[in-house]
Amino acid sequence: MDFNFNEEQQMVYDSTKKFFEKETSGTLLRELMEDDKGYSPEVWKKMAELGWMGLLFKEEYGGFEGSFLDFALILEGMGKSAMPSPFLSTVILTGLIIQDNGSEELKKEYLPKIAEGECISTLAFLGRKGLYSKSELELEAKQVNGGYRISGAASFVPYAHVADNILCAAKTTDSEGVTLFILDGKAAGIETINLHSISGKGVDCLVNFKDVQATPAQIVGEAGKGWEYIEAQWPKVAVALSCECVGGMDRVMEMTLNHVNERIQFGKPLSALQVVQHMCVDMAMKLETSRHTAHYAAWQVNEGLDCTKEAAIAKSWCGEAFKVVTKIGHQLTGGIGFSEEFDLFLYTRNAKKLELLFGDGSFQRAIVADNIGL
Amino acid sequence: MDFKFTEEQVQFREEVKEFVTTEKEKGIFPFGNNCWMHLSSMEFSKEVAKNGLIGIAWPKEHGGRGMGYVDRVIMLEEMFRAGAPVAYHFMADRQVAPGIIHFGSDFLKKEFLPKIRNAEVCFCLLFSEPDAGSDLANCRTTAVEEGDYYIVNGQKVWTSNGHIADYGWALVKTNLDPAVSRYNAFSEMVIDMKSPGVTVRPLINSAGAHSFNEVYFDNVKVPKEYLVGTKDNGFRQIMTNLDFERAGIERLMQNSLTLDSLKDYVKTNDKGGKPLSQDPLIRDSIAKLEIEFEVGKLFIYYVASLLDKGKIPSYEAAMGKTFCTLYEAKLADVATTLMGLPGLLMPGSPEAPCNGMACEDYLWSPSYTLQGGVVEVLKNIVAQRGLKLGRKKK
Ligand SMILES: Cc1cc2nc3c(=O)[nH]c(=O)nc-3n(C[C@H](O)[C@H](O)[C@H](O)COP(=O)(O)OP(=O)(O)OC[C@H]3O[C@@H](n4cnc5c(N)ncnc54)[C@H](O)[C@@H]3O)c2cc1C
Repeated sequence: MDFNFNEEQQMVYDSTKKFFEKETSGTLLRELMEDDKGYSPEVWKKMAELGWMGLLFKEEYGGFEGSFLDFALILEGMGKSAMPSPFLSTVILTGLIIQDNGSEELKKEYLPKIAEGECISTLAFLGRKGLYSKSELELEAKQVNGGYRISGAASFVPYAHVADNILCAAKTTDSEGVTLFILDGKAAGIETINLHSISGKGVDCLVNFKDVQATPAQIVGEAGKGWEYIEAQWPKVAVALSCECVGGMDRVMEMTLNHVNERIQFGKPLSALQVVQHMCVDMAMKLETSRHTAHYAAWQVNEGLDCTKEAAIAKSWCGEAFKVVTKIGHQLTGGIGFSEEFDLFLYTRNAKKLELLFGDGSFQRAIVADNIGL
Repeated sequence: MDFKFTEEQVQFREEVKEFVTTEKEKGIFPFGNNCWMHLSSMEFSKEVAKNGLIGIAWPKEHGGRGMGYVDRVIMLEEMFRAGAPVAYHFMADRQVAPGIIHFGSDFLKKEFLPKIRNAEVCFCLLFSEPDAGSDLANCRTTAVEEGDYYIVNGQKVWTSNGHIADYGWALVKTNLDPAVSRYNAFSEMVIDMKSPGVTVRPLINSAGAHSFNEVYFDNVKVPKEYLVGTKDNGFRQIMTNLDFERAGIERLMQNSLTLDSLKDYVKTNDKGGKPLSQDPLIRDSIAKLEIEFEVGKLFIYYVASLLDKGKIPSYEAAMGKTFCTLYEAKLADVATTLMGLPGLLMPGSPEAPCNGMACEDYLWSPSYTLQGGVVEVLKNIVAQRGLKLGRKKK
């Protein structure tokens, strides 16, 4: 057993960190929260140049067949930087779903584009209540003249308004299950409406579909199996989000420790107070334990082991831990931390979002309960 | 033991309720969360004044109604339940007027009490400074005597409503002798915010709102009559005042509308055909919030009852504020989580339940356990004054 990074992982970790230190600034992050694109095309392009988008794809589709552990470390760096981008929705929620299930044609068409950073894509699979449940899906695909017409609404679709492609999950009238269609983001009948969420004005969208046409060739994998395809990616998404949480916590911890060491009250640094020290230790415990659970689950994914339970443990633990860490951070940074000039609020918002994305704590604990025979 | 409200109190509550309902129905005033810090409307405060609801707990000889602290809690409970926009008169009613009544000269009483009672002036609190938060005795703003005036220099920070206030209630250093204890070096004074040399700069808080400010003083002339109470006794005056004002129901109910919106959400939305309110986990979480709310409310009434009996709640007020603000800090967190992704939509967003109230409140949440004394410092007070911990053995 070895909890440490190997040389290559250390390099990935360090270079990711360096990249974001260079590309991210407080000003940019604040601008992006207001921006209606919600991400920086310049940074996106540079991320693609580093090979991150194609890291998990096979070489024949323009990828690098890299390790999921490296991927996880990149997400940790992303979380630490708080840089928003359509990375996860493009790479996992479209790219990997197509790579694992799509026809040869679809793989050849989409994966190289994604790998080169030439395609932003997203997954539309939630109803307006935002519940992660097949029965809450509001999209329906009717069979018409050998093709399909998709209608209904999907909400909380990240970056749909800037997406070149939308992978949409629709109930099909001719089969029991859910079918995935890969659509042009600007196809006739698609209307995207920006939602203003805790993470900004240009991230989440409500997408209305009105008789959007699709051919059988746009179906990813088999008709009726779409929900299973999404569920199969769940552990990877959960681990990726957990790693983002770890990165975020790491940064909040840094800025808080820095503050309590610098700020003098009662003639000494706040960090000299035992109460303050204990609060810092609480943060440190959250961070250290989260890092282990996230890395462990990432390793399981990388080894190809079934890690439904471990991924759920990681997401449940890290998601809630990040939130708690931001709360302690606020308490220790007082008025300063509650002003917009200090970066903490960026993380407070991310943490709350990450807690809920792809299932909150109790959702994940239900997965764990299922997995231990309850 | 008798937990019954008197006939008069029951009737008074009804009166207030009716007043608030009428005003809310007019649809012209900004009702909502954080109403005592952030929702300011002089016009609304004038209505409150017209109905005799400012200064109810001041003695009659000072133009008040001579009612009790429990009565005041009853009134505020009804106002906060509706999110009434009381910020314009709130600080003056709660803190400034009692300070003037306890310590102020006849001049100050005549000058300010009628104006406060009639909602003609808005006060802000000028205590905190960049280097003086929890360690308030580290304030550096000075007031030096010169003829009939004090000349004030320095900077205050986190001044809620500094941008709308006519006057500030300030803690300033009047004794610059380094040999004098910090606790004997301060005075309280009223500062006209329109005086030459006062600069108010906006600060945006992490919820994205302009609510607090930085306030700079550059050779500001303050008439000597504006000094409150005894010179150099300001620190003690403030601390005494705090015992009276610390555990108001605003520490429990400043975001109470969030709980209503959560209850409404789970009753009107369903999952798999069943209302969310039938989900055992959701029921348990909301019932827990309700319980903490009721427990906290009882505590607030307890502190008020002590005050009505003439006792000083030296640690009870700190305990009440700690408990209640921890509840407030948790409320929007639970609400947003239970609502799920729709709970993370901001005011003004399409699809936002209850116009994004829960999400906005989540962003304000970190402030509840900081304002007016942080939780850790309050716990120190409870430990030392209440439990008498850490004293030397005889
Ligand atoms: C929304 C908001 C509105 C405000 N409005 C006003 C206003 O109108 N007027 C005004 O004068 N001030 C106002 N304040 C300021 C408020 O009173 C201060 O923020 C508060 O007193 C804490 O000071 P600080 O922010 O400097 O934190 P610090 O004193 O730096 O403390 C930071 C943290 O360190 C820890 N800590 C500090 N001291 C101790 C101790 N002795 N023991 C254990 N732990 C400790 C606590 O965790 C504390 O939260 C407002 C603040 C906020 C957030």
